[in-house]
Amino acid sequence: MKKPLIEFKDFSFRYKSQTEATLHDINLTIYQHEKVLLLGPSGSGKSTLAHCINGLIPHSFEGEVKGSCKIAGVETIDASIFALSKHVGTVLQDSDAQFVGLSVGEDIAFALENQQMNRNDMVKRVFASASLVGMQDFLSHVPYQLSGGQKQKVSMAGVINEDVSILLFDEPLAALDPAMGKTAIELIDDLYQQLDKTVVIIEHRLEDVLHRPVDRILLMDEGRLIADMTPEQLLTSNLLIQYGIREPLYVSALKHAGCELSIEDSPSSIHLLDLSRHQKKLLDFSSTFISSQATSSQDIVLTVEDVSFAYDKELVLKNVSFALRKGERVAVVGKNGAGKSTMAKLLCGVIRPNTGRILVEQEDYLHLTIKQLGERFGYVMQNPNQMIVKEMIFDEIALALRLRGYHEEEILAKVIEVLQICGLHAMRNWPISALSYGQKKRVTIASILALSPKVLILDEPTAGQDYRHYTEMLSFIEQLQKQLNLTVIFITHDMHLAIEYTDRAIVFADGELIADDQVFKVLSNDDVIVRANLKQTSLYTLATRLKLKPEEFIEHFIQVERGKIHESE
Amino acid sequence: MNQNKFLIQVTLQDTFLHRLNGETKVRLFVVALVAVIMSFDLRILVPILLASSLGVLFSKPNWKSIRIVFLIVVGVNLLNLILFYLANPSLGEYWCGENTIIHQFSTRYYVSVETLWYLLVRFIKMVTSFMVSLWFILTITPSQFAAGLAAHRVPYKVATIVSLGFRYIPDIARDYENIKLSMQMRGVELDPKKASISKRLKQSLLILIPLIITSFDRVSTIANGMDLRGFGRGKRRSYYVEQDPTVWDKRVRFITNLVFILSIVYIVGSMIWPAPTNMWCPL
Repeated sequence: MKKPLIEFKDFSFRYKSQTEATLHDINLTIYQHEKVLLLGPSGSGKSTLAHCINGLIPHSFEGEVKGSCKIAGVETIDASIFALSKHVGTVLQDSDAQFVGLSVGEDIAFALENQQMNRNDMVKRVFASASLVGMQDFLSHVPYQLSGGQKQKVSMAGVINEDVSILLFDEPLAALDPAMGKTAIELIDDLYQQLDKTVVIIEHRLEDVLHRPVDRILLMDEGRLIADMTPEQLLTSNLLIQYGIREPLYVSALKHAGCELSIEDSPSSIHLLDLSRHQKKLLDFSSTFISSQATSSQDIVLTVEDVSFAYDKELVLKNVSFALRKGERVAVVGKNGAGKSTMAKLLCGVIRPNTGRILVEQEDYLHLTIKQLGERFGYVMQNPNQMIVKEMIFDEIALALRLRGYHEEEILAKVIEVLQICGLHAMRNWPISALSYGQKKRVTIASILALSPKVLILDEPTAGQDYRHYTEMLSFIEQLQKQLNLTVIFITHDMHLAIEYTDRAIVFADGELIADDQVFKVLSNDDVIVRANLKQTSLYTLATRLKLKPEEFIEHFIQVERGKIHESE
Repeated sequence: MNQNKFLIQVTLQDTFLHRLNGETKVRLFVVALVAVIMSFDLRILVPILLASSLGVLFSKPNWKSIRIVFLIVVGVNLLNLILFYLANPSLGEYWCGENTIIHQFSTRYYVSVETLWYLLVRFIKMVTSFMVSLWFILTITPSQFAAGLAAHRVPYKVATIVSLGFRYIPDIARDYENIKLSMQMRGVELDPKKASISKRLKQSLLILIPLIITSFDRVSTIANGMDLRGFGRGKRRSYYVEQDPTVWDKRVRFITNLVFILSIVYIVGSMIWPAPTNMWCPL
């Protein structure tokens, strides 16, 4: 009989600041040495449940608790957060916020320091934990020298250090590029195998987590536990679509081909998936493919010609050239530090090329100020809270016009127009604080559109959003793009976004532009994938297994998916 | 490596001064600074000035960034001396008990040897306290500082606030740059040629509001993360960066303690047997 480590019985929780409970009647047991995925859309209560497991609820967040929650046999309400931290190690989503030490070694040692371990033991422990996650050669590195994936590894080392029995990962994939995300899932699995821990992963990216097996998936929605089943059971049910979770791409592809999946097919892994029953349908499906020629206008909005840029003699962009046409949607991808954000800063004019030229509508942009460029390029930051400065929606959108000294009548007309385009007209007199994250994001886009830019630059527009909000946001952008014939640049790690919502991907690696092509072609090129820290999609693997041409198979899939999105509108 | 652009060190070089542990450095700094503040006597100030200057020299700093700070400190102090003189030209008489006038401008303003002496001592005192602080800043990391404070029974939460501040300054600076860019594109004018100071100041608020709001969000996340790793559990904590004292630590601590005792003796002594003049004037 396995020992239960986490037990919820008729558990409910209401935050003090809210009128309604966030968690309702949770009944749940997680046993020793289980690996469990806690799945659910944003606002489903999965993070709240995680806070209950690590003791932040009820010890840091006040509220009303009903029922029982036991960790390692002890009611959390009777234990202190420190006592609980001996059982549960939490790796936060924001690895920058978790990284409190001034160097890797110090950060890994943080919990041990709090236990007043003597230094000699501490140094040994830190080295051992760092070795487990492969960071032993970085102990004296400072946080600014590390990538997001490395910071996360440090956080992991910091919690395994403590001999906890439960490892809790809060959205471990949120801030990582595709290749780092894959590595993180592999590392979590290795730790699980080697250290005999119980692992709970909170995520909404099902396919990425399933890269390594999990024992059970708990599906949550609106504060309730909807399902508690194996990955096989879940993938063959209709629950994913019903609750707005993205299915693995290969599962969608099988469904497009009209295949009915069953548990016997082992659908939880693209490598183990039994295709024998489905081969014929899939081949029939792919034979209906007709390649479509990309049609875009020939008006060039922006030309980057042989641009190089160096910070302190360190070359960060080398001879980059590309052109954007009117109405084109382009994904700029590549790992952190590859030159993506430098490119964005160059376009915005905050830095200027050392050599080469940038032409905006055939005109050299050197004599344009940042303010003037702001009327041609709209730059939308990842976090809407970093952009919002006014209390009311109307004022926020009017800001850029007011700063440019337009007349109030002109402003009124323009703001109303933008509000209508963005579907915010009904909310025009609302305070911004009453809006959800996604709505705030819309307001920031609207505030940029007030200047009627030709090009919209969106930095990770879907970061931290679940599939439902992701789809809403991207359909919104697509609709704007069509209506205003905008050129849209997405700076992103998200290959799903690139596949489904862009015409072209520009790939950066180590300061060089290494590919500029349609997305499915980029994703079929092994060399580019490796150099840019991307990841092959499961469609690629599926196509190879069927001995089909991956490029065509992926393009076909995109056509079908886009057709579906448009049908549903 | 771009860390040495700043005065504050995040990673240390490898000299014997840098290798001293946090406790030793903090004690040496506090004792030296107290000695400088409590004394107005070149016999004490000059040796400390020489020792700390040697310390700065040995710590192989980035001279470029120090030069600017040094010039500012000297400039401000010279201004301070001039103001002191203008406020009261007969300072020397109070401090040294005599008045050897070498030049008379008017009935009120004259130059005396004693006043010059007083101003010189005052200047050296300021420079000495600067050199002591500079030496300290150049050879310690914020974490070692925290460890050193904790070793002297300063509550570790205070020390942690300091090192956390240093940890997150670059993050906040990065946020600031991003917000500034987005605001400039929306039309905030920061170019002094195009907007008046008052307009620029007013518009800078537009950058600060989101910066403050997002930083506050982050603070609560950081605090939760620290709770979860047991911060605040005990009355004390140990430090990963705090190495066991070496022979050199012991030697330096011995000297520090000696200086401390001598300073006490000097202070107490000058209270019991007050010198005939208010300061040491070998003139």
